Formats: sequence, C-alpha cells, structure tokens
Amino acid sequence: MKTLLEAQGVTKRFGGLIAVDQVDLTISEKSISSLIGPNGAGKTTFFNCLTGLYQADAGTIGFDGRSLVGLRPDEITAQGIARTYQNIRLFRGMTALENVLVGQHVHLRASSWSAILHTARQQAEERAARSFGRELLDFVGLGGQEEVISTNLPYGDQRLLEVARALGSRPRLLLLDEPAAGMNPRETDQMMELVHRLRDERDITVFLIEHNMKVVMNISEDVTVLDYGKKIAAGAPQEVRSNPRVIEAYLGPEVMVHP
Amino acid sequence: MSKAIKTGLTAFAFVSYFIFIGIPGRIGVPAALPMLAVVAGLFFWLNLSRAPAEDRPIRILRAGLLAGMTTGLLVALKSGLFATLLGNGVSIQPVFDKIVPLNIAALLGVQPDAIAQAQVALLRYLVQMIYFTGSGVLGALVVVVSRSHVISSGGPHPAPARTVQVGRWLVIALPFIVLAIIIYLGLPNVKLFGTNRSTVRLLLTLVTTGSGLFALRMTRPGRERMIVAMLLGIGVLTMPFILDQFQNSVMGIVFIFVMMGLGLNIVVGYAGLLDLGYVAFFAMGAYTYAFISAPFSSPLIRSVLLSWGLSPESPLLGYWMALPLTMVAAAIGGVLLGIPVLRLRGDYLAIVTLGFGEIFRLFMLNLGELTNGPRGILAISQPRLFGLTPDAFSGGRLSSQGWIFLLALLGSALVAFIAMRLNDSRLGRAWVAMREDEDVAQATGVHLVHTKLLAFAIGATFAGLAGQLYAARQINIFPENFSLFVSIDALALIIVGGMGSLPGVVFGALALKGLPEVLRGVDEYRIVTFSALLVIMMIVRPEGILPSTRRRLEIQLAEQSEAGADLLGPEKRSKDPVEGRE
Repeated sequence: MKTLLEAQGVTKRFGGLIAVDQVDLTISEKSISSLIGPNGAGKTTFFNCLTGLYQADAGTIGFDGRSLVGLRPDEITAQGIARTYQNIRLFRGMTALENVLVGQHVHLRASSWSAILHTARQQAEERAARSFGRELLDFVGLGGQEEVISTNLPYGDQRLLEVARALGSRPRLLLLDEPAAGMNPRETDQMMELVHRLRDERDITVFLIEHNMKVVMNISEDVTVLDYGKKIAAGAPQEVRSNPRVIEAYLGPEVMVHP
Repeated sequence: MSKAIKTGLTAFAFVSYFIFIGIPGRIGVPAALPMLAVVAGLFFWLNLSRAPAEDRPIRILRAGLLAGMTTGLLVALKSGLFATLLGNGVSIQPVFDKIVPLNIAALLGVQPDAIAQAQVALLRYLVQMIYFTGSGVLGALVVVVSRSHVISSGGPHPAPARTVQVGRWLVIALPFIVLAIIIYLGLPNVKLFGTNRSTVRLLLTLVTTGSGLFALRMTRPGRERMIVAMLLGIGVLTMPFILDQFQNSVMGIVFIFVMMGLGLNIVVGYAGLLDLGYVAFFAMGAYTYAFISAPFSSPLIRSVLLSWGLSPESPLLGYWMALPLTMVAAAIGGVLLGIPVLRLRGDYLAIVTLGFGEIFRLFMLNLGELTNGPRGILAISQPRLFGLTPDAFSGGRLSSQGWIFLLALLGSALVAFIAMRLNDSRLGRAWVAMREDEDVAQATGVHLVHTKLLAFAIGATFAGLAGQLYAARQINIFPENFSLFVSIDALALIIVGGMGSLPGVVFGALALKGLPEVLRGVDEYRIVTFSALLVIMMIVRPEGILPSTRRRLEIQLAEQSEAGADLLGPEKRSKDPVEGRE
C-alpha cells in the first residue's frame, strides 16, 4: 500500500523535557492506525507536531511526498490533514453548521469584495458550502442540528461535530485525539462505526490516539506505542498486545519480575 | 416583603441622584414629577420582572405597591426637608449645588416662589406619593400582564395572541408617532415646552431613532421587515431637513460615532481584538483630510509651496476627492498597528494599542512644523454637492449641520451594510472563529495574519471615514480632540449596545453621545452618570441592550438547557463547569 505520511526522527523538547524523542512512523493510505501509550507519553505532542501547532525541534515529516516541516497549521490543513481535539475545542458561539463552514475555510475562494457585493459566484460558493456542510453533519449523524449553538449540543454530539468540522477541509488524513473519551459504550460503538465509514465511504486515512483498548484493538490495523516520548513498539494489534515492553510500560516492571 | 422595600429604596436612590444633579429643575414645572415617576416605573418593571415565575400576580402587585409607597414616602420626606430648609432661608447650595428653589419646586409641581416663602400645601406631598405609588403598581401590572400571556400561550413558540399583535404594532408605530411629534414641535407657532422646546425635540429625536431599532426587531423577517425598514429609512432621512442647527449638530456627532463604533465593532466585536487606541485611526482620517483641504498653516510647507509658485491658501482637494486618500491612509495605519501586535492577545494587546493611540495624538501635538501643534489646523473646507453649498442645492431647507448629519447617516448606512455583508461571509466566520479560539481557528485553516490585518484595516478605514467627516464638522481640529476618551467612548458604546450587534452600535451611540447633550445642564455629572450606567449595564444585561442574534441565541439556549437538565436526567451529561461558561 502507498505511504501517505512518513515521520522520521521527530523530536520535540520543552526546556529539559524531551516530550517526543526521535519517533519514526509511517501511515499507509486508507488505513486506520492508532497511537497509544500511558498518560504523558507524548501522544498529543506528536499530533501537535504533525499539524504544525508545534514546530518539531528535529526530524522530518513528509505527507504525500511533500515536507511539512516549517509549514503553518493552516498550510498543513490545506495540504489535507485535519484533526480533532482531546478536550473538545469547538467555536462556541457558532452554530453547528457555522463550525463546519469554518472547517471549509481553506476551500472557499471568494474575496471579501465579492462578499460585500454578493456576486453570483460568491453566492453559489456559499450555497455549495452550506449544502456540503449539511451533508457532513448528516454523515456524522447530526442531521437536523444545523442551527444549534455548538456548546449546547450534548457531549457526544460535540465530539461528532468536531469530526464534521475536520471533514470540512476535505482531508486525506484525519487525526482523532481520543475520539471516544468520556463516551458511554453505545456512543463509543457509534464512533467506531463512524471511523470505519470515514475510511470506507470517504476514503480518508484515520490516525487516532485512544485509551480505550477495546476501540484500539477493534478498529486499528496498525498500532504504535509511545512511552516517555520514545516509540517502544509498532505493528498489528495482536503483536503489540503481547509485546513485553508494552506490558511493562502500561503495568510497570514488577509484573515482569513476578509473572 | 422586605425585598419590595429594598426595591423601593433603590428606586429612591436613583430618583435622589436625579434630584441632586438638578434634573427636575431642568425639565420644568408640569412635566418633572410625571417624568421622574415614569423613570421609577421603568425601574420597578425591570426589577419586578425578575421575581420567581411561580409568584402569584397578587404578590407581585403587592410588592409593586409597597416599593412604590416606599419610594414615594422617601421622596416626599426629602423634598419636604429641602423645602422647609429653603423656606427658612437656609442655603444648601454650598453643599448640594443643585438644591435650589427652582429644582425642588419642579419636584413638587409648584412655583419657585412658593418654596422661597415656605408655602407648600401638604396636598402636594400627597400627590408626589401617589405618583410614585402609582408607578410601582403600574410596573407590577405590566409584569403581571406580560406573564399571564406567557402562561396562557405556553411553549417556546406562543401562538400570536391578538394582544401581542396589538403590542407589536404599537412598538412598530412608535417611532413614526414620535417623528410626527417632532415635526409638530418644529412648526413656527407651537409654544409647547417654551424655552426647552429645542432640548425636548432633541430628546424625541433620540427616542425616535432608538425606538426605530426596536421596531425593526419586532417585525417578522421577510416582506414586513423590508417595508418597515424602508419606511424607517425614509423617516430618518427626513430628519436632517426638519431639525434645527443644534439638534442636527448633535445627531451628526452621534452618527459619526456610529460609523466609528461600527468599525471598532469589527475589531473588537467580531474579531475579538481589544483595541484601546482606536482613536488613532479616527485622528488619521481627520488629520489627513485637514492636511489636504485646509489652507496650510505650517510655515515650513507654506515656504515650500510659495517657492514652487503655488498658493498655500487654496485647499488641494475637496471632500469627495479626499475620501479615497483618507481611507487609504487610515487602512495603512491599521495595518501598521496590526503588524507589531499580531502575536499579542488580550490584555497585552489592549495595553499596546492604548499606547499607540496616545502616541499618535502626541505626534500631532509635537510635530508643530507640520500640524501647527496645539494651535490646530484651521478652516478645513466643507463637503459640497457638485460645488454647491447645502443651502444652495436644497433651496435653504438643509442647514450646514443638517448636511453633516445627512452625510453621517449615509456613511453609517454604507458602513453598516459592508459590516453586515462581511459578517455573513467567509471572512466574518474566520473572525468569529479566531475570537473563540485562535489556535484551533488556525489549525482549521484560517490564515491568522490575513484575518487579523483585515480586521484592523477595515476597522481603521471606517474610523478614517468618520474622522474625515468629523474634521469637516468641526472646521478646526486640535490634537486634544483625539484623546483617549474618544477610544473609551467608542468602546463603551458598543458594550452598552451589545457586542457584535449593528443596531446595538446605533443604540449605544444615541445613549452615550446623544443623551449627554440633552442633559447639557448637568454636564459636570456626565462621567459619574455614565460610569454608573456602565456598571449597572454590565450587571443587569451583560450582553448589551440590543445583542446580536448569535449572543442572544447562545444565552437563551444556555438558560433552556440549564432548566431542562433535571428533566432529561443522566442521559444529558452536564458539561465541564469551566468549559461551559462563556
């Protein structure tokens, strides 16, 4: 399968702390892969390096053959990477549909002059953006909630709205930061189904951070494990699960001493 | 019950304040007492409407009665005390400068002589008490009636009852009725309100413009709103022709501030960039226009022009030719301020912009060679229409200040239109997204540099337009015209009106720039009054008088979801209390 994202030796330091330490990672196109690790292992920091929120101190990140190093977050989004956040970060004063419209920002071309004059082209673009926004809300299961202020949606729906907003930029790679955090089992199942549909119906490659092992083992084709910023294991879920270093990282070394 | 007395005491505090600053004396004998009672009634209404929903009507009425009686009794006691003191030749003026027979007489509805000779009938105090008691009962009655409507219709979308329809149309008709009164008062042989007629007309002008905004809110979207908006527009456009020089000059400054407020609203209200140096762009517009349209006063430029064989007395460009230049100058100013503060947020941004505003003023003050320093630039040329003065092209119907007012109105309309269109576009959404969460907005694809600079530049352009008109209105401008207080006024008016709301800006300008002119006589208390007004506003109605739909919807839904949380049970998870807060 074709490689979509390739990271080599990505390192991020905060003062003396090395949050991400020489991580190599490849993601192949139209795959679903996961990044796991104990709390504070540097997973979200790695995500932030990929999306340009942080500039990596060392290493290269290639996306579809082009380097992402030094690009701003909005440029990276324009390249085709979108993300959601661990602690939901919606645009709070905006309606669900408006959130998705902001998501489409990079693909809207109409100038401010044409917006003032309401030119035919700008109006057509706005109409198209709105109908694509509705389509995306329908896709994630928020049909009919277009005009609801985003913060007034139930918690699980807010997570879905974040996915819809990310889809607005028509990404090829979608990064989900703990999509099932705080969800009940039913909502978790819906989220897993959504991840599958993202890949199968929209051809989107999904890379996710998740703590819920059931989710990780069920949906990922590839799992990478971080501990103290270092990559300690990678491979198919079953291999990773039985890897002694992974068990040590999660449960502590005593388990190995007294099996 | 004690709560009702507290309400009465608070109302008394307000009325007391008005008495101390001499409002009754300004209004005059027949109207002062009823007007104070109306103000108290408004307060009672606002206060009682916050009573718990399950309160029975009789309880609310009783509370209104008690509150009104408390206020009435205290006002009567107070005016009795002052009347007795004044009648016995005690001079209170050194302590309270407005406690003079004229003022207390207006409060009691008698002639000033009666106070001076200590001949006030007891009946007068009784009438006072009845007025305030009545205002308490009326306030309560309004609350009760509006509640009974809510209960009978039920549900979030009540069926439009006939009373509601009548009330709605009354609100829509109000601005037109007031406009008719203004026209009537302007007729040459009307003697109503005597010497105060001009002030009363100004007050009514403010009222009609303000109520027009509410009327527009009351209309249903679609054809009804279009027709009412058009009629209101025609009504507003006739004003410059029917008002006198004084009223026109006040309305001119009000709408110059509307233009400015609309610009600041883009920077602060939409994009969330707290700019306290906004006056700099206003000054840039004014000074750019002044430079090119007034006779050159600076010796340096005069000598240069003379050496080139040009006359320094004749202006370079007229108002309309200068317009694009001032806009460009202000926009460049906006970008120049924007670039260094791109990375700053919140408090830091506020402090830097505050400094910027002062720096510009100090430059104008100290660049004496160019700007004539504190002596200002004089004899700025006036806007004309195809070379004609307003008097000439309107056949004497439009005064020079009326012309400025008309231009301010048209400018405000244009600026409001642009702001509205932009808000509803890709750029407007990017502004709001940036205001809500800058990092996420950028990660979602918003180009922060472009978006911020556009907000600064467009906001500055609007301020520049306002500044140019201001320079034309003032004829002579001085650096002190552009002090920090202009920035604060502009910011205060968008907070009072409602952040991010276009009608709110108009309302705020009417309240903050118009009302002080009505209260000319008590001008020394202006700052105190506005400080108090702002504090009360922020407590009672933090979203502003006419909040934008976005904010109103947000607050409404937040209240609904709070109320519904118990009914929905565990299915509806409560949000993180910190995150859920606005």
